[in-house]
Amino acid sequence: MSAVCAHAAEIIPPKPAGYFNDYAGVVSKSAAVRFNEQLAQFERETSDQVVVALFPKMESESSLDDYAQRIAQAWQVGQKDRRNGVVVLVFVQDHKMSIQVGYGLEGALPDVTAFDIRTRHIQPHFRNGDYEGGLAEGIDLVCKAIRGEYTGLGKTDREKRGNAAGGAGLLGFLIFMIVLLMFIRIGRRRGGFAYSGFGGPYVGGWSSGSGWSSGTSGGGFSGFSGGGGSFGGGGSSGSW
Amino acid sequence: MNRFSLGSVVAGLAIIFGFTGCGSYNRLVTLEQNANKKWADVQSVYQRRADLIPNLVNTVSGAANFEKSTLTEVTNARASVGRVQLDPNKAPTDAAQLQQFQAAQGQLSSALSRLLVVSENYPQLRATEAFQNLQAQLEGTENRISVERNNYNTAVQDLNTALETFPTNMLNKMFGFKPRAFFQSQSGAEKAPSVNFNFGNSPAPSPAASP
Repeated sequence: MSAVCAHAAEIIPPKPAGYFNDYAGVVSKSAAVRFNEQLAQFERETSDQVVVALFPKMESESSLDDYAQRIAQAWQVGQKDRRNGVVVLVFVQDHKMSIQVGYGLEGALPDVTAFDIRTRHIQPHFRNGDYEGGLAEGIDLVCKAIRGEYTGLGKTDREKRGNAAGGAGLLGFLIFMIVLLMFIRIGRRRGGFAYSGFGGPYVGGWSSGSGWSSGTSGGGFSGFSGGGGSFGGGGSSGSW
Repeated sequence: MNRFSLGSVVAGLAIIFGFTGCGSYNRLVTLEQNANKKWADVQSVYQRRADLIPNLVNTVSGAANFEKSTLTEVTNARASVGRVQLDPNKAPTDAAQLQQFQAAQGQLSSALSRLLVVSENYPQLRATEAFQNLQAQLEGTENRISVERNNYNTAVQDLNTALETFPTNMLNKMFGFKPRAFFQSQSGAEKAPSVNFNFGNSPAPSPAASP
């Protein structure tokens, strides 16, 4: 049940950049990219948003359940009308984790199933320090449970929004190319200018006073944007 | 021509005032509906908990020589919850009534958590799938209760604030809108923390403890 706690300062981390976010640095980069793409594809197929975030520790003195619910609610994971989001939070040093289930998925992923996934499939791996294995199994099982509840639109929420601004984006790109070409010409004329290239897309992790720093980034990264989902405390939380 | 313009000015003013009045009235109705809706949500999560109890009692009393007093306590608490019924469709206006309701539910909460603590002494019971499932459901229900109570308090705060501020407070008297009662937080666990350092996305704000 809910633990007794003093109400104290807490930090609700801002919306993450991706579907899979390892701020604790315990998962290999290749696995993180793989998980992220798996979950982005899952949203395209089902419209369900599943977001996983690993943090070093809890930044709150509330109970785990309360804190996890507030984070899920603040991130607005899930589509607004369907409320079909799931948030998996792991606090590595605290040995605590939570699966928060949006209102619209409480039927497909009831507390008992979330409890089962957490205690029998994820946490045994975590106890052996195998975060990747636990998360791989957990993500598969969560997706399996909620698949079929809703049908997707073939696009993630962010991709939908991106389309609306597509025209402006194309125009911007053209202007950018023209300016770039001009610079290259000027550079050639002067003889000394060398174009050094620019990095891949920056995937914003974030850092704050708390000392959490960005984890996932990479090429072809599918970004996450919350659809406005809401959470009522369904799911399962506990320690391993 | 002059007559007409004077008339239209008066009519225009009347329309403008009429519209603002209607807008405010509609806003109050919306806020009230919202508070009622949130109250219904609170009621339904409490009901969900009450519905789990017979099952829990059955499962636990099946365990060999389980301490009977804790079971009786849960059963009694559930019965007293049944006696304090509030209209499930209307957010309560009477703070004392809500407090009574809350006290009865609080008693059930503590009886349940005692039962779960006592169950630690019965490892065989705890190992059964039926018990684990019930525990998962009970914990989930407690979380939902805390969330819905916070949501309700937020809705009541919005309504009560509107009822006290201009121009909506004028309609308050005319149409007999009433402020609603808040849930009091009993243990710290029930309420959102006082300081929320959240980078622009606001989660459930912490409602004032007293109206």
